Amino acid sequence: LNSLRVLVLGASGFVGRHLDLKLGGTDWVSRVAPLLNERDLAQVAAAIAASDAIVNVAAGSAANIGATARLYDLVAGAAPAPRIVHLSSMTVYGSVEGDIDEEAPLRADLGPYAAAQIAAERRAASCPNCVILRPGCEYGPGCPDWSLRIARLLFARRLGDLGSAGDGYCNLLYITDLIDAILAALRLPLHEAGIFNIAMPHPPTWNDYFMQFARHLGAVPVQRISQRRLRLETKILAPPMHIAALAARRLFGPASTPAVLSPSLVRACSQEIRLDTSKAERILGLKWTPLAEGLERTARSIIASKGS
Amino acid sequence: MIQVANELPENCVLSGDICLIGAGAAGIAIALELVASGLEVILLEAGDSEPSASTQDLYAGEVVDERLHSPPDRYRQRRFGGTTTIWGGRCVPFDAIDFEVRDFIADSGWPFALSELAPYYPRANRLCEAGRFEYTAETAFEMPLPPMIENFHSSNFTANTLERFSCPTDFGARYGKKLKAARNLRVILNSNVTAIQLDAAGRRVVSATARTLTGRSFAVRCEQFVLATGGLEVARMLLANRDVQPNGIGNDCDVVGRYYMCHIAGTLGTLRVNGPLSSVRHGYDISDEGVYCRRRLALRPEIQRSRQIGNFVARLHHPRITDPAHRNPVLSLLFLSKLLIPYEYAKRLHGDDAADLKTWARHIGNVVRDPFDAVGFAWHMLRDRKLADRKFPSVIIRSKANLYSLDFHAEQQPNRSSRVSLSEQRDALGVPRLKIDWRYTAGDVDTVTRAIGLLADDFGVSGIGTFDYNAAEIESEMTRYGAYGGHHIGTARMGSDRHSSVVDAQCRVHGVANLYIAGSATFPTSSQANPTLTVVALALRLARHLERTVLQSRAALPVAGAA
Repeated sequence: LNSLRVLVLGASGFVGRHLDLKLGGTDWVSRVAPLLNERDLAQVAAAIAASDAIVNVAAGSAANIGATARLYDLVAGAAPAPRIVHLSSMTVYGSVEGDIDEEAPLRADLGPYAAAQIAAERRAASCPNCVILRPGCEYGPGCPDWSLRIARLLFARRLGDLGSAGDGYCNLLYITDLIDAILAALRLPLHEAGIFNIAMPHPPTWNDYFMQFARHLGAVPVQRISQRRLRLETKILAPPMHIAALAARRLFGPASTPAVLSPSLVRACSQEIRLDTSKAERILGLKWTPLAEGLERTARSIIASKGS
Repeated sequence: MIQVANELPENCVLSGDICLIGAGAAGIAIALELVASGLEVILLEAGDSEPSASTQDLYAGEVVDERLHSPPDRYRQRRFGGTTTIWGGRCVPFDAIDFEVRDFIADSGWPFALSELAPYYPRANRLCEAGRFEYTAETAFEMPLPPMIENFHSSNFTANTLERFSCPTDFGARYGKKLKAARNLRVILNSNVTAIQLDAAGRRVVSATARTLTGRSFAVRCEQFVLATGGLEVARMLLANRDVQPNGIGNDCDVVGRYYMCHIAGTLGTLRVNGPLSSVRHGYDISDEGVYCRRRLALRPEIQRSRQIGNFVARLHHPRITDPAHRNPVLSLLFLSKLLIPYEYAKRLHGDDAADLKTWARHIGNVVRDPFDAVGFAWHMLRDRKLADRKFPSVIIRSKANLYSLDFHAEQQPNRSSRVSLSEQRDALGVPRLKIDWRYTAGDVDTVTRAIGLLADDFGVSGIGTFDYNAAEIESEMTRYGAYGGHHIGTARMGSDRHSSVVDAQCRVHGVANLYIAGSATFPTSSQANPTLTVVALALRLARHLERTVLQSRAALPVAGAA
């Protein structure tokens, strides 16, 4: 049997690294060599021509997401059309609240990142053989955004019990579940290709997430964070800290600068949106890692790295 | 959605499935619980988001003996969030014995056991932001806590039960956003319900009329009505509506407003603990959730039964603040800050006694002698209480001589003669004001006297120290500040017999099919525990019942067009 030749875009990121590891151990897949320069269109075109499937897990800034999505233009004429697995984001639903399934309208009201995700989805959807995954907040060992950053803020007592500001739902997704979803999407028959929300069912609130994670980390007792302090963090401290972090990264490479409590994180914490993931369970056959298990593994890796 | 009544068309009639009257702990808890039900809920709140003197004045009334009870417009708030806007936050569940019929306490016994309420307590704890529903030191803390008092062993008291403290959570501020976002919920502020119209037979509520202080009015028609206006106002509203039932709604047996209970509380004696200062830990421990928890000395249920007395707890406390003889700069600073402390706390902290110039001077002297202690305390209270969202609950003073007083909080027994009734005076909306005649009994004095005696014996037998007090002063100490403020219990008590109760086990007014009472008015007995947590648990139980009732009645309706 011929194995499926898979090209991963954004392979160097957190999801990309986990995916690469998984694909390496999957006998029905052969990995196309990762691109050295995703801006080199000739190289990309060659790689696409040599691929049966393309998984786009590019993350980062709006500009990066937009640039990677533009590579879909190179797929348009390919025959047979390769399977595209496009990793989008739940931010495409915007500021809407409630239980949200894949039919919900997209709203570009959460800033440039969300707008870029919507635009990227549209480009992906123009490809004839495309599966779009809309994940919640992926977490797990090494996850920079939803695990490491949160852990640092919890240890520093800059996050904790946010009161009504933490009543939103935290649509968590353990990293291996996301990887399973991507693999399932690769094998999905064409007639079932479509859009899938990917996140654990019955998500905790952000307050619950912080509390449970803090317990696993030993970062207890958690602190009640006042609205006044959240405003101070997001309006006064976050902008210079963000600029300092960018500058430090440019000057010294990946550096351990203080975590930023960004306005977007604080806004997300109060958004009462729950992804309806029943379609993914039904069609992709996903099973979810229990939250306690995922948090335990994540916390263990963080504590081990602190120890070393 | 949250509206103000003045936005509504004059004399309009609103309709829905359930009308909740009162947006305090009980009303908001029920509303939150019904958000997911899809039922159309109207929540009427007399006050606004901010306090208003003219609205608060509607709570004013008379007190028969002002030494025994605070004025009716104190310790309760007529505004969105109700009295949760000023409460202290102490959360304690009732004990199993509180629900039992005790033949040594007249009119005791609830129509159900603790197990009926148990499923609702964890969620109530969560709404109160008091952390996990774990109320012993062993279950609430992973690491064992050092004992409250080293080597204290007692067959009469436990020392491991906890009280947990809410932020204290202002339910209006905390849950306003959720209420506003709920599509099936309509909160209407400035809606003073002045009339509850019954049908001609007096068996159903037809509508409630609400008025604003600016002279507008509107009516609400719903399938079910819930009075959640607090232990005093519930009685007032039932008694004031006399057009169909001449004695007031649900009052044909003259029970409404009777059996009025608060708690019996006070500070007494001097406990001298032998051994090092570290042998006593009488302050707060902080749980993983960041919740302040405190252990108390609780009278064991089997001792309550064998001694035939009510429920009782005690905590180690600082000496009386008003007496400068304590020579403690922090306590004197608190005395000097009297004017900065809200009435509801200042009264029990300081009492109402006027201090002479010499007393003031001696307090100033205490502060001047050790200003650093006072400054340290002031900083702690500023940082951990004034500026904190989760507030340090109370003043804890570590005695430098291992000297403490005992702060007790005891059950008040049901007493038919202790009552609230209507005054001859009327408020600005023409509703009769309240008259409060709170009374305690010899049984209440006996509970405190015997419990204190047992505790004193236990201190001596354990060899941890001595507790000196004057037994003859117990009655005057327990009434020094009068009835415990803010705990308004029993005025529409629960039971199966309409001669001794107002509502049934589902909190429905006897004889009125669609009128319910939520709150501590329905408690048949008062326990040693502060009422709010149980108010919320009972409200959550009522919410489930209301949802079931409305859905069942909908299912029973014939389908339009069916043959």
